[in-house]
Amino acid sequence: MESPAAHNDVLQLAAQLEGLRLRFSSRDTLLFDGVSLRIPRGQKVLLLGPSGCGKSTLLKVLTGLIPEAIELPVEWELRKPLESGGYVFQDPDAQFCMPYVDEEIAFVLENMGVPRSDMPERIRYYLRRVGLAFEDPHRPISTLSQGQKQRLALASALALEPETLVLDEPTALLDPKGTTEIWEHVRTLGRDKTLLIVEHKIAEIVDFVDRVLVIDQEGSLVADGGPEEVQKNHRSLLDRYGIWHADSWAVHDQQYEVAQLSQKNPANTDLPPLLEIDQLKGFYEDEACINMPEVQVHEGEWITVTGPNGAGKSTLLQALMKLIPTKGMSHWKGEAIKNTEQLASEVGFVFQNPELQFVAQTVYEEVAFTLWQKNISEQQVDSEVQRVLKQFGLTEFEDENPYRLSTGQQRRLSVASALVTDRELLLLDEPTFGQDAGNTFAILEELERYRKAGTSLLMVTHDPEIVRRYATRVWEIEDGELKADYAGERVGEQNTGVGHAV
Amino acid sequence: MLYKKKYSSWLHRINPALKLVLLMGGIIAVLFIHNVNVMIPLVAALAGMLLIGSGQPIGRVLLFMLPFLFVFVSTGSSMILFGKGETLWWQWGPAVISRESFYRGVHIGLRALSFGLIGLLFALTTRPVLLFYSLMQQFRLPPRYAYGFMASLRLLPLILEEFKTLQKAYKVRGVDSVKGWKGWWQKLRLYAIPLLAQSIRRAQRIAVAMEARRFNKSIQRTYYYRPGFSSEDGLMVICWVGIFAGAWIVGVQWPLFEITDVRFNE
Repeated sequence: MESPAAHNDVLQLAAQLEGLRLRFSSRDTLLFDGVSLRIPRGQKVLLLGPSGCGKSTLLKVLTGLIPEAIELPVEWELRKPLESGGYVFQDPDAQFCMPYVDEEIAFVLENMGVPRSDMPERIRYYLRRVGLAFEDPHRPISTLSQGQKQRLALASALALEPETLVLDEPTALLDPKGTTEIWEHVRTLGRDKTLLIVEHKIAEIVDFVDRVLVIDQEGSLVADGGPEEVQKNHRSLLDRYGIWHADSWAVHDQQYEVAQLSQKNPANTDLPPLLEIDQLKGFYEDEACINMPEVQVHEGEWITVTGPNGAGKSTLLQALMKLIPTKGMSHWKGEAIKNTEQLASEVGFVFQNPELQFVAQTVYEEVAFTLWQKNISEQQVDSEVQRVLKQFGLTEFEDENPYRLSTGQQRRLSVASALVTDRELLLLDEPTFGQDAGNTFAILEELERYRKAGTSLLMVTHDPEIVRRYATRVWEIEDGELKADYAGERVGEQNTGVGHAV
Repeated sequence: MLYKKKYSSWLHRINPALKLVLLMGGIIAVLFIHNVNVMIPLVAALAGMLLIGSGQPIGRVLLFMLPFLFVFVSTGSSMILFGKGETLWWQWGPAVISRESFYRGVHIGLRALSFGLIGLLFALTTRPVLLFYSLMQQFRLPPRYAYGFMASLRLLPLILEEFKTLQKAYKVRGVDSVKGWKGWWQKLRLYAIPLLAQSIRRAQRIAVAMEARRFNKSIQRTYYYRPGFSSEDGLMVICWVGIFAGAWIVGVQWPLFEITDVRFNE
């Protein structure tokens, strides 16, 4: 028998799940086997776990999207789904169905049956609340930055007037500025709502939540408690699952011995430079987007290219690789660079979007592809491929199609296939972007290993922590101009202040 | 972009569903015109309407007309050279030009051209979003189709962007393009699979996002755009009927050629 008090409790619950069992149609094993969860009204919950553990799936079950919109084999003893939830998803380009900002919010209002006469005012109201006070809200969504798109998604969620806000890795594809802006708005808008958040960068939001849940690889709840408690008692879990918390970099510094990093800069400036740039201009749609003065890149340098969004960092890499129209001169080992083909075998390039750079049907072939173009024996190719796959933790996926990997695995694969032959220069466009802490550190460690062996790196990044620790040289780009060019500190947290002596 | 708002003309303000019906009616009417004397003023009037009424710069309209002019020349010339006819004008091997085939060729070319002009007239003056809103409200098109189409239109520019990235990625990896059939097949595989996979994934995500915004749960849907009817729509009907009637009168009263029916009767 249920006591009256318990009954009262149920009324206070925003959502409840008892004995959830769920399986992905393509797999044999259960993702969840008997998960139970109660979320009281007004509680702010943060869900953590390794990628692929089913955090997003759990959100979809709690909101009713599974099985209503996505059919999966699922059963439960009891489920009380969230009555009204506004959802923000991960991918800013895959959650809008209309071309214009006002139309997108209007779509929600139409679904709610809001009278036409109230719509323009409501659209402006929701946009204002997320800090998108456009003079004319009828503007193409494609002109917004990724951060603005996520705030538009937040505005559309608010337009449902929900009791609960559900945020499924809303900042995974945002730069630090966009991330901060999203969380600022969630803090004010979510104050009187129930919040369900899945994230892997928790530093900026963890103090706002009441409860942190950790799910492990097998889909069971392994930790459930207040934010301080979980951060204190389950730190090792967070590190193992690659979650970015406030001390992630300190952990990294211990593990990877930053002291070693701060050894003498091995860049050898006595040798002739690998790459010489002499007044290079890169054009995008007939407009000069990058304008480089005379600079040189030497063997063993790790140059990080930093600067605000739209400053021309990616354009610089593409101009060097001759992927866009250029004017001016650049030389590779003393020879004038005329086209991409000339560089393809000696210079590796990793694009920002890992989903769009694969050339082969399996992970193995993807890595082997570059080797096959050289004249080496099949045996050599095989041993090289196996070595690299192992380094990047991809051995078990060697027969998978690259497009079936998770984004994190795809990114590792794209770095792996760029590194597999001894490249003399690597151009990397935010190779650690959107990666969890574990992947980020693994990629950086690998890159550092190659750098020590003499490979030069030119890497676009937004992350000051990476710049501080790994850059031997920093290029700051602003408005398409090289604003500053200076030596990197190469220090971690413990070495701050001491590192300058190097 | 094709549909920039700053080039708005009165044709943009016509109810899209009405416009669709009128223009489709026009296409059907053209099928029943067999008098080349009528086709000539008709095509002239349509071209005039497009150049003046579309609100687009003339240069751009002419650029869009280019492929249709090509269709005009190619369909017309093949009918002229290889069509049947009794009054022989010129012969060279299998190519025969007779009086009948010449006029029929001109007529068919003009017919193809008029379809192109009508299509452009619609495409250049109608925002797809408004068309679907109008179809939902005037023709009771189920919202799930209408919004499905609108969402897929949003995907097109994204696919173009991805195509460009792929091109660069292949260049960087040193993928040499093979010439001939094999190269064509290789290209198709290299581009189609990733673009398709990416689009399917994105479409699925968008569908879930739409569902999360209670798309299928809406009981009494309201509409942000309410394309209605105004006096301009009346003007459009008059204009459209006028063009066809006018062309008919001009063609019959002041024929350019003595032939009035291009169909071949034995």
